[in-house]
Amino acid sequence: MGRLAEVWRRLLFLFRRRQLDRDLEEEMRFHLEMKARESGAAAAQRAFGNAALLREDCREAWGWRWLDVLASDVRFALRLMRRNPAFTCIAILTLGLAIGGNALVFSLVDAVVLRPLPYAEPDRLFYLWTVEAAAQRAMNTSYPDFRDWREQSHVFASMAAFSQWSFNLTGGGEPERVDALTFTPGLLELLGIRPALGRTFRADDGSRTALLGYGLWARRFGGDPGAIGRSVQLDGEAYTILGVCPAGFHFPPNRFSGDPEIFVPLVPNLDRTAWSLRVIGRLRPGAGIERAQAEMGAIGRRVAETYPNERRGQGIKLDAITAYVAADSRDTALVLLGAVAFVLLIACANVANLLLSQGAARRREIAIRVAIGASRGRIIRQLLLESALLGMASAVAGIALARIGLPALAAIAPERTAFFTRVRDNGVHLNLTVLAFTAVVSLVASMLFGTLPALRTTRPRADLARGAGSGRLRGALVAVEICLAFILLAGAGLMINSMARLMAVDLGFLPERLLTMEVGLPHAKYPNEKARTAFFARALAGLEASPGVLSVAAASDLPLERALSTGQIRVGNPPVIGRAAFHAISPRYFQTMEIPLIRGRLFNAADTAQSAGVVIVNRRFAERYWPHDDALGKVVVVYGVRVDLTPEGPKLRPAEEPLVVVGVVGDVRLIARDAPPSAELFRPYTQQPQSGMSIVLRTAGNPESLVEAVRKEIWRADADQPTTDLKPMQAWVATDVAERRFVLLLVGAFAASALLLAAIGIYGVVSYAVRQRTQEIGVRMALGARGRDVAALVLRQTAVWVTAGMVAGIASALGLTRLLTAYLYEVKPADAPTFAAVAAALAGIAVAANLPPARSAVKVDPLEALRHE
Amino acid sequence: MGRDEATTRTEIPPGTLYMLILKSLARLGPMHGYGIAQHIQQLSDEVLQVEEGSLYPALQRMLIKGWVVAEWGQSDNNRRARYYKLTPAGRKQLTAEITEFEKVMAAIGRVMQPA
Repeated sequence: MGRLAEVWRRLLFLFRRRQLDRDLEEEMRFHLEMKARESGAAAAQRAFGNAALLREDCREAWGWRWLDVLASDVRFALRLMRRNPAFTCIAILTLGLAIGGNALVFSLVDAVVLRPLPYAEPDRLFYLWTVEAAAQRAMNTSYPDFRDWREQSHVFASMAAFSQWSFNLTGGGEPERVDALTFTPGLLELLGIRPALGRTFRADDGSRTALLGYGLWARRFGGDPGAIGRSVQLDGEAYTILGVCPAGFHFPPNRFSGDPEIFVPLVPNLDRTAWSLRVIGRLRPGAGIERAQAEMGAIGRRVAETYPNERRGQGIKLDAITAYVAADSRDTALVLLGAVAFVLLIACANVANLLLSQGAARRREIAIRVAIGASRGRIIRQLLLESALLGMASAVAGIALARIGLPALAAIAPERTAFFTRVRDNGVHLNLTVLAFTAVVSLVASMLFGTLPALRTTRPRADLARGAGSGRLRGALVAVEICLAFILLAGAGLMINSMARLMAVDLGFLPERLLTMEVGLPHAKYPNEKARTAFFARALAGLEASPGVLSVAAASDLPLERALSTGQIRVGNPPVIGRAAFHAISPRYFQTMEIPLIRGRLFNAADTAQSAGVVIVNRRFAERYWPHDDALGKVVVVYGVRVDLTPEGPKLRPAEEPLVVVGVVGDVRLIARDAPPSAELFRPYTQQPQSGMSIVLRTAGNPESLVEAVRKEIWRADADQPTTDLKPMQAWVATDVAERRFVLLLVGAFAASALLLAAIGIYGVVSYAVRQRTQEIGVRMALGARGRDVAALVLRQTAVWVTAGMVAGIASALGLTRLLTAYLYEVKPADAPTFAAVAAALAGIAVAANLPPARSAVKVDPLEALRHE
Repeated sequence: MGRDEATTRTEIPPGTLYMLILKSLARLGPMHGYGIAQHIQQLSDEVLQVEEGSLYPALQRMLIKGWVVAEWGQSDNNRRARYYKLTPAGRKQLTAEITEFEKVMAAIGRVMQPA
């Protein structure tokens, strides 16, 4: 209590300092007067001593003297900064850019890695996967398995299963394909989400009920609260709207295919081999991950033993969802943060060099201050304060720059990564965390660039030691800059190299002038294979006849869409079992995509549901299974190839089907540009009808100009039929390398900044050195040195620093570029040509930065220089 | 304290200045700095010399600690003067300081007793 009162009184004294100061002065006057009466004015004054010092002592008693000192130091520093605007601007701009870059990248890290997921206590949320015994891969789970897990587990307070889905939404406006999520009751409660309107599912709700996403509700129902209780048409069937999810609710948090806007109850599929569900659980408070892992492991083994024939695995894997979501982006975020930190270090080295030159100019001022009694510590404190102010000003500039750059950064966040989804869900903000980080970074930077110059400038007898010593320090700073710039450039160079190689990869098809879309047929309207095949035949015929369309085809999936479906196959005798990617296509698929036919024939109108089962395989398939034989005429046996997804749940095609190979086609990059071709097999869609197909058109001109016409043509085939992802193939091609491009863009920008800063740094140091050595140069020239010798003198000195920096850079880069392996394609982290190119570029820049000062050195007039002596 | 070594007056023993000021205020009631100094000098028969350089910083510290409060008032000769007044906390502090002082004096006395 007493201490608190004392603090309070101290604060009062702080705020009433001016008044108290006047009081003190009057009090002193009074005292002096009284004393003068007693012993005469002169004696009183003598006895009283230094009144100013006494008042100072009194003020010190209040405990705020440090604040006064600080304030006067700040005023002094600000005055200096104003008096030297060129230096101040250059320093603030350099640091501001670097700090702004750091703030930007950190705001990404904050959005993607640090900020908790927008669910209640996200740390307790876990994904549960079935682990496939053979591949040790985390896989989806079947409903019966999920039910067993939920019933037998004690560590999880609740557990829910879900699956992503999509519906054709019709009625009240254009038909629309909407992403959906089907889940077991309790998922929203498990996440801690309350509906914005209405209620969530109860166990007794029928399967024809739905919750709307906030965006869909606003879009299709104009945000009308009366929507509750009405119905929506999903795949041609009426679903009663029970509630609306809150704005900003997204699930799952990492969704690289669609953002669910419709939520419907999961209809359990009791087939234990229908592995289509993802499971999420909330750990009980106090239950640790180890216990959960142990318990779920035991449950997994028990279930596997009970159903030995229907299990694909033994184990259950747990993933904390926070870590799972950021997993693919955390390393990238760290690489970017490291790269931008290097830029800041280089900026610090530059500013340190500027300060060193400043220090030389200020030596007089400092000498005077020392002469009148300032201690070295006091002056160092003053200089560091100046650096801190510079740092703070740069932080403000950096934040302003980051504010400008933020929307651009968010716009280039690559799809299919946590960067994209989390940035879209969370937004990137310069929030308090980012601001605090920026403040800390700028302070640390201030100390980094401020300490050396402060120590150097205040060094006793600095005037004697300055020549060689300060030059060496500057040289070392240049070497550090070159070293850091080398590392960044090497990283960027390796990535550029990889990107070039990647872009040169032959996709196996011609992506230009291709328009693609997806069409999903509702089960209610197209209940059987005949109806579906008929729709696609009608739509394809209509599209083929459209102006500007050269060729059109349908396929169950397209390359680079990453909607891969693989299945088991058997060939030969003795039988060989393998896996291949399965596609169902319309006859003109290969012509449309311009995938070459190597052997045999393509599909044609004679390959119908009634005719013999045929198959076309790709080159990789043929080489793998018949390396020494002709593939044509061979038999491929396929098993329950494709899971038919119906609203009742996945349905498997039974039995084996022998198919005869009629053709071999070229390989394509199916999954990604950097993934080697896999074994693929193609079947006529008439023999394996699909409820959803991609349609691909080869156009005469710009494919985007046909978008509207194509949509209308599909509506002519069925007025209620929406299309999704109606976009050029090139968009998929771009998405495929989007993350690489994103990282490359940022690292490239940082490397370019590093190069620029290093060039400015070298220029500054060399110019300064030339100015310092003007007299020496003059003497040399007077003694007969030619321009060439003088230029060599200047260049030689820089060459030593640059070489030292380069050697250090190569050594560090050899260690650090290994961290980039994930971003490299057919380029080794220690790629010699890249390193050589970077070294050449840096050397070139160093020489270029040297030229202006070298030229001015050559132009030194010996007479002029000597006269100044 | 005491920069003036040449004076014949004795410096105030370290640590007792607060006690002397507090005691003076307790005896005199509200008083200005000059009065306090005078009081201590007179009662000590001019032995204890209170330096301004110690007195005023000490008074400021006592203000902060809340042992005294200051008010502007009228001096005997009709001048505006700043009067310091003991607070209850100051009174308690005085008691504590006296107890402590007596303890120390007694201890010193015991040490100095002829064997």
